[in-house]
Parts: sequence; structure tokens; C-alpha cells
Amino acid sequence: MVLKSKSILATLATTVALTTGAFADGHAKLSGDLTIFSDMSNPAPRAVMEGMVERFGAMHPDLNIELTVIDREAYKTQIRNFLTANTPDVANWYAANRMKPYVDAGLFEDISDVWESDELSGLASTKGAMTLDGKQWGVPYTYYQWGVYYRADIYKELGLNEPASFDEMKSNCQAIIDSGRKCYTIGTKFLWTAGGWFDYLNMRTNGYDYHAKLTGGEIPWTDDGVKATFANWRELIDMGAFIDNHTAYSWQESLPFIVSGDAAAILKGNFAVPPLREAGLDDSKLDFYQFPAINADVELAEDAPTDTFHIPSGAKNKEAAKAFLKFVVSAENQTLINNGDNLGQLPVNANSSVDDDKFLQEGFAMLSSNSPGGVAQFFDRDAPAEMAKVAMEGFQEFMVKPDNLDKILDRLDRAAKRIYK
Amino acid sequence: MFPTPIDKTSRSWQLSYQALLPVALIFWLLPLLAVAVFSIKPDTDFTTGNYWGFPSSFEFVANYGKVFFASDMPRYMLNSLLITVPTMIGCVVLSSMTGFALGVYKFRSNLWIFFMFVAGNFVPFQILMVPVRDLTLDMGLYNTIPGLVLFHIAFQTGFCTLFMRNFIRALPFDLIEVARVEGVAEWRIFWYVVLPLMKPALAAMAVLIFTFIWNDFFWAVVLTQGVESQPVTAGITSFNAQFRAAYHLMSAGSIVAALPPVAMFFLMQKHFIAGLTLGAVK
Repeated sequence: MVLKSKSILATLATTVALTTGAFADGHAKLSGDLTIFSDMSNPAPRAVMEGMVERFGAMHPDLNIELTVIDREAYKTQIRNFLTANTPDVANWYAANRMKPYVDAGLFEDISDVWESDELSGLASTKGAMTLDGKQWGVPYTYYQWGVYYRADIYKELGLNEPASFDEMKSNCQAIIDSGRKCYTIGTKFLWTAGGWFDYLNMRTNGYDYHAKLTGGEIPWTDDGVKATFANWRELIDMGAFIDNHTAYSWQESLPFIVSGDAAAILKGNFAVPPLREAGLDDSKLDFYQFPAINADVELAEDAPTDTFHIPSGAKNKEAAKAFLKFVVSAENQTLINNGDNLGQLPVNANSSVDDDKFLQEGFAMLSSNSPGGVAQFFDRDAPAEMAKVAMEGFQEFMVKPDNLDKILDRLDRAAKRIYK
Repeated sequence: MFPTPIDKTSRSWQLSYQALLPVALIFWLLPLLAVAVFSIKPDTDFTTGNYWGFPSSFEFVANYGKVFFASDMPRYMLNSLLITVPTMIGCVVLSSMTGFALGVYKFRSNLWIFFMFVAGNFVPFQILMVPVRDLTLDMGLYNTIPGLVLFHIAFQTGFCTLFMRNFIRALPFDLIEVARVEGVAEWRIFWYVVLPLMKPALAAMAVLIFTFIWNDFFWAVVLTQGVESQPVTAGITSFNAQFRAAYHLMSAGSIVAALPPVAMFFLMQKHFIAGLTLGAVK
């Protein structure tokens, strides 16, 4: 038995050496065990994960795949344990700064060689998010766009168009306020929704690179650029653009305002669409626009949080793990797992087809052709967790008491000095 | 100091009391009523803001069907049972013995040992979170049902010992002495004389411990992680999707999860109240 598996390994090694591309079409012989730890624990993602394992297993009958699905929240603490002891061959995680601690600790495998293969050429839009220190440390499997979801019927009634500039956005908002409504619904109880507003205002005012430097601790919070972002935000707050008492609502509890028409729009990720549709906003009432430019000199950049697969450096079956990662990002698999029956999000491979859904189509077009500045992961994924918490508390306070801005920025600056030390 | 009994007050006060009582009751039960109503509402009622109104459609079968057949709830309920029942038995067995030892025998450090059991009850259990978590991890009991059971037994035994010791102290000591004069072995005295007399205390304590442990959330979250070991109190959030909280399913799940302790209370009401007042009145 030992001899047999050894000889298979030998054949495998030669196959790999001769034709690296052989894995993609699934004819390479993989054997042994492949253990996968996944955080895709909610019903739909879980079915997707199990489906992928099943299909990959069918392609490699000699491979014994062991899948462990862990609750998504519990996973965030367990990953620290299992990356050092009892390491799986493949593990889920998140892109960009969220993977930095594990990359820095040497717990994720450098898989730049996988990215060099032809099959991954369609993944250009997310490559930046997977790159640290000039190397790639994992592959994405799904992402979704952020943007403004608005009530098309209210815009029509008031004779408004999708804004092309921040000035137009403000004049639209004034018209909406004059009609007795609020422009934007938001629930800041759990803070991150305010992080979305900050991200967009900041990326439109100062650009993606500034966002990356700010969340990376290279720019102080007392910088003039940050102040410009908050000045733009303050204009919206002062005109009464946001609903009252937003600190009392979760994001779900902020939805009734847009459903009832008391608010005309919401800045949110694409996950807001299913509940709004269920509540009766069909495609004639609900529409989407990209957050308009504020500073014409900066390129548009978007928030598109990306979920990923990685190979821990302690993995035992790295060849099979790499083959699995290639399988995950293949155009065909991407089309399937991201369609409306499964994840209902955007495929990461440009050669995939997007589900026939208005919002997914618009989001895919926006991210693949109209986001030249880059793709950010979202404030609380780009900034270290501790900094994100303090900062988002500051955003929430600012939205209620804009006069406290100097105090808030001072506090954030002090926190940053401690956290990024 | 004590309020005047209602039947001794003036007629007008009695009338207003009778009128106010149902109002207070409804206010008091409002959150529970809301959960009950939420559990038969469709998901869209939360997106349209229909929190307190009439359900737009009745989804009793759909929601409860999902709880029982399309989720891990049955497993979580089983875990709760597997945690609660052994804890209940363990606590009752251990504390009836410690209670007997401390209540019947006179030895030098008797009172000090007893005080240690009592003092343990005054430790705020939250401060034990980190050490207990590390301990279970080191012992390989983290995220297992025995781990949670052992901790609960260890922690609840203090209270139970206090309870049992005081109960045994209140028994007529003559019975034990008579048995000793007859030459009955000590363990037989425990088994045939004291234990039968303790039945009301045992029942009361079992009921109390059952509700304590079934309703425990804190340790369930600290010491367990997954569906293979988490009790229902911690597992209820598994209805939440990545982005959305499924309030309707969580409500239905909460109702189901609350049924065993509520049923226990109504079936064993007598013992429950006895348990709460035992030792309070001499």
C-alpha cells in the first residue's frame, strides 16, 4: 500500500513537472487525503461548498476529500488554532488586510505559481486584493458590489436622474427632502454601515491609494484629506439627508424606510437586494447606481468584499490543494456557484457569465470596467480590527454630532498611534 | 414594611387594582407575546417594518417546519438534553453526599469546608471565563459535551451543597441516632434513612438545576463552538445567514427552546417554589 501510494506520488511529480497545466482539465491523478476547513456554514454557501467538493471528488476518484464546515463566526477565532496545529490543506478566509496577520506569521502558503498559470488570467480584477509583498497568498471565490440602491419610482415621480456628480447627488437629495422624504436610510447600530459611507466619500474625495494608506496606518487621521472627506459628509448630514435615530437600527431594521418610501435610497452591498425584493420592490421600483465622482481628479474605486481560499503553509497535500484552488476559480465553476440559485453574487473570473439579474449584471460591469482606481475590501476588512472598531464608533458619533469632529479625529489619531505601532 | 393585603384595602383601591393588574400583565408579557407573534410571521414583515401589526400571512407551519426539519435545531435540543440531564444527576448525587457529610458529622473543619462551598457561590462566574476556557482546552474537553457537564457540576455543587446541608440539618437528628444505636452502617443510614426523607429537596433541586443549566448561555458560548456540542441557547443564532438575521426563525426556535423549562416549571411548580423558599424559612 505504501509502495503503491509512493509510486502514484512519483507519477504525480513527473506529471506536474512535465505539464503544470494538466490539473485544470481534471485529468491529472491526485491521491491521498485533502482536508478542507470551510466557514461557509449558512445554508446556501454550505450547499455550494459541498457541491464543489462533490464535483472535484468526481474528477479525482483516488482523492479522499474531507470537508469540515465550521460556523462562520466561530471560524474567525478557530483559524488561529488550526493554522498552527492540526492544519488542513485548504481553508477559507478573506482578502487583503484580513489575511495579512497570517501571511506575516508565515501561516499561509505563497501560491504565486498558481496565479501564473493561464487559467487564472481572468482573475485580474481581484489580483490586487490577493497580493501582499508582491506575492499572491490565496484565490478569491466570490465577491459582491457596493453602491446606491434607490427607489426608481420616487426618482421618476420627482423627475430625477441617476447622479453623475456629487453636486447632482446633493441637488437630487434636496429635491427628495423637499418632497418630505429622507434621501438615505441607514442603521448605524452595528457601526459598519457608517464605514461604508466613509469608504465611498473618502475614496471619491481622496482616491483608492489614500484609502489603502489610511487603513494601513501610513496617513494620520488628522490629515487634511480626512478632513475634506468629513466636510463632504457633513454637507449631507447638515441638509438632513439621513433618516433620524439611525443609531437605533441594525441594517435590516433600516430597510422598512426604503420599502415604505420614507427614504429614497440606501448605500449598501448587493445582499440588500433579496430582502427588498421579497418586500415588494420589483425591478421597476428598485434600481442601482455607482456612487458618483466627487473629486474629478481621482479614479473611481469600489468596495467589493472578497471571500477567499488559502493553503496553510502546514498543509500536507499541497498539490491537491492547488488543484482544488484552480478548480474553484475556473470560469465554469465560477459561473455555477455565483448564480442566483447558489451564492447570488459576482464571479471572480472575467470569463464567467453572470446570472441574468439586473443588479448582478450592473455590478459586474461596474467592477470589471468602471473601477479603474482599484477594488477595496471594505473599511473593517482593510483596517486592523481594533482600529476599525474605534474608527467606526467615531463615524457613528460624527453622524449624530458633527461638531465633535476635531475631538473624534484626535481620538482616532491617538488610537492609530497605539495600534499601528 | 409589607404592603397591606389587597382584601383589607378599600373597595375603590381593590377595583383599581383589579383593573391595573391585567394592564401591567400585558406590558410585562409584551416582549414574549411579540416573540410568539414573530414566530408565525413571514420574513418580509421585518423588511416592511410590520413589527407590531397583524401578520401579513400566517407562516406557522413553514417557520416551525424549518425549525424542526431544515435546521440543526433538533441536534441542539439533543445537546441541551445531554448537557442538562447528566449535570442534574451529577449535582444531586454529589451534593446529597456532601450535604449529608457536612450536616451529620461533627469534625473539626466542618464549618470551614461548608463556608468554602458557600463562598464559591459569591464568586462572580464571569471572572472565571478565561481560566476555565484554558483549563478545558488543556484537558482536551474544549468544545465537548462532557467538558460543559463537568464544569456545570463543579460550579453548581456549591449551591446545591448549601441547600442540602441545611435541609439535612433541619431533619430530626434523633432518627440518625436511633439508627446508629441499632447498629446500622453509616452508608445504610444515608441510603435508607436520610435519602428518603430528602425526596422533596431532591426534587426541588433537580427542577432548579434543570432550568439553570438549560437556560445557561454564557458557558455554552465560552466552552463550545459547533453544532456537535452547543446547546440550544447558543445554537439559536445559527438561523442567521451571513448578512441577514432571520428573526422569524429565531423566534420560532426560541419558543421551541423555551418549552422544556416552561413545561418543567408547570409540571413541577410545587417543587420549584419549594426549592426557591427552602432554607429561607426555618
